[in-house]
Amino acid sequence: MKTREVVSSLTFRGIVTYVTALSATVFLLLGAFYLYFSYTSFRALGESVMSELETLELVYSEQSLAGVTEYIDDQLASSSIHRFYYLVTDVEGIKVAGDLSARPSYREFDDGWLGFELALQDWGQSIDVEFLAYPMLLGDGYEVMVARDYADIVDRAELVFTTLFRFLIATLILGVIGGFFSAARTLDRIERLNLDVSRMIRGGASERLQVEQEKGYIRVLAMFMNQMLEQIETLMQGVRRVSDNIAHDLRTPLTRMRNDLSQLRDRSNQEEGGQLERIIDECDELLSSFNALLRISTLESGSRLAGGSDIELQALLQDVVELYEPVAEEKNIELALNAPRSQVCKGDVDLLFQMFANVLDNAIKYTQPDGYIRVQMGLKMAADGNSRHSIVISDSGPGIAFSERDSVFRRFYRVESSRGEQPGHGLGLSLVQAIAHYHYGSVELSNNNPGLQVRVDLP
Amino acid sequence: MPMIYLSLSVETMRMNVLLVEDDKQVGDFIVTELTAVGHCCVHELDGSAGLLAAQNATFDVMVIDRMMPRMDGLALINALRDAGDNTPVIILSALGEVDDRVQGLHCGADDYLVKPFAMPELLARLEVLHRRVSATVGESETTLVVADLSMDLLRQHVQRQTATVTLQPREYKLLEYLMRHAGQVVTRAMLLEQVWGYHFDPQTNVIDVHVSRLRQKIDKGFDHALLSTVRGKGYRLGPKLDD
Repeated sequence: MKTREVVSSLTFRGIVTYVTALSATVFLLLGAFYLYFSYTSFRALGESVMSELETLELVYSEQSLAGVTEYIDDQLASSSIHRFYYLVTDVEGIKVAGDLSARPSYREFDDGWLGFELALQDWGQSIDVEFLAYPMLLGDGYEVMVARDYADIVDRAELVFTTLFRFLIATLILGVIGGFFSAARTLDRIERLNLDVSRMIRGGASERLQVEQEKGYIRVLAMFMNQMLEQIETLMQGVRRVSDNIAHDLRTPLTRMRNDLSQLRDRSNQEEGGQLERIIDECDELLSSFNALLRISTLESGSRLAGGSDIELQALLQDVVELYEPVAEEKNIELALNAPRSQVCKGDVDLLFQMFANVLDNAIKYTQPDGYIRVQMGLKMAADGNSRHSIVISDSGPGIAFSERDSVFRRFYRVESSRGEQPGHGLGLSLVQAIAHYHYGSVELSNNNPGLQVRVDLP
Repeated sequence: MPMIYLSLSVETMRMNVLLVEDDKQVGDFIVTELTAVGHCCVHELDGSAGLLAAQNATFDVMVIDRMMPRMDGLALINALRDAGDNTPVIILSALGEVDDRVQGLHCGADDYLVKPFAMPELLARLEVLHRRVSATVGESETTLVVADLSMDLLRQHVQRQTATVTLQPREYKLLEYLMRHAGQVVTRAMLLEQVWGYHFDPQTNVIDVHVSRLRQKIDKGFDHALLSTVRGKGYRLGPKLDD
């Protein structure tokens, strides 16, 4: 599966958008959690400082300054990592107890909270540590301040934040990868449907999508499409049957009429005979139109060539060219065949002969005297890597205007300028196309500057 | 050197034809047409009656419809061939695709004509089939002669009176076919099938051009023409009937 197709696919884009939105939501939630976590941590810290102050106040009221000093020394002796720091000062602000040396320069926060930085000795290194402190008057001018460092809370908060962030990145990456594969899978299924549909467009009107392989909505879609195809096919068959029936039912009475006329002519005199002869010719032309129409319908309606025999295209083209050589010579048209290699394709020899004969017949009809017609056969590499037989018939005639190149394949369509000038019923090229399609081939018209180039590709 | 002088009385040669056709209208039409030119015709309306008729009498050629009640045409031909009856058979059928033709010819029919058909086409084919049987010796002959035109099959040499006629390979095949069916009308479709080996519908008069070229070579400069066009039917090689 081509990466670019997957990335640009609608499914993939949808999934990426979804993953992004989901991540943003999760990030917001986690951010709120982070804020709440920090808030409660600091609140707990504040409360512990307050309760320590309450304890100190109680100790002072019972045992005055000596008790406080003793209590503080007791606390300092216990060596927990995160502990309280104390400072007791007298009226003049002189330190009387505690482990903080005098009052550091501080910032004042709301509600009487103070914040300061202090360098602590830690394993022989001095590290700046941030503290939160709260001062309280004990009485007799003594003031105590309890401080607590909050590096641990910040650390924990940071840990939470990085975890959240990594989690988010991982979600994004996994989501995108998952999206890629799920888009690839969907695309794969759609690709399969595409292949089926393009096969149907190329002619297999009776073909259907493979429903068994699909699941879920795609299966439902495939089933609906199959129903639609069913209806289209029924309609097409109906129309075709009507036109076939018309051609068929007209053909029989026409043949009878023709036979009666020819009986009549055998019994009639010279003058009447000539007239009857013209009517019979008219009948023959109508009959041949009907026959061509029926053949085109049969070729287009049924399934395509199954099997077929090996056809030597080189020999076949030689035969066609040889058959038409005298006709070309009558108009002094140079008819040349260039088929240097022997090329074999599967097909129906009579149909292929008919196809090339029709093309050549047209070329001779429309090329003015002293012109040329070239038939060339070669091999061409197709897009799928297989080689195809490519037969190009080019002439020096008037060509076909670009705007009419598709129309000429339509039944009964005749190029305006040739109407009335040339005999024919406007079915020749339709039959050519029907035969080419029947053989899984194609016909293309292009400009030969001047003239027309008909290119027939056969597998 | 074995030499066969091809009879020119073939136009008047009477044929005993068995027609097996379930469509009464088509059948009656064929019977009328065949009797009008002097042939004898027995008409049966279904396959089993046709088989019975074929077993009880001898026919020169049979015309058998393909799709019939009770026993279809192909089964009838199979039954005939199994019984050792090698009477030439021409199939009439509305099924005209190549596969159908191949199937028909494969089961032992000698020719295949798609309905609807023009009566001259059927007549010409019947006569050719009949002739093929009555002159099977033709396969081994080495010289074909029609009036003062002769063809040496071994040396591939064609000569009219004392003058040598130089022909292209295809013209040679065309003339050979016409000479083998001298005096008979051969249609354009028959020529395409037999001389060119393809069964297709030419949009224009390609065959006419080939025939007129051949005519140039064998008739030009001689007081009576051998190769004539039969309007609405085809061509005929041989002295004019009213000569």
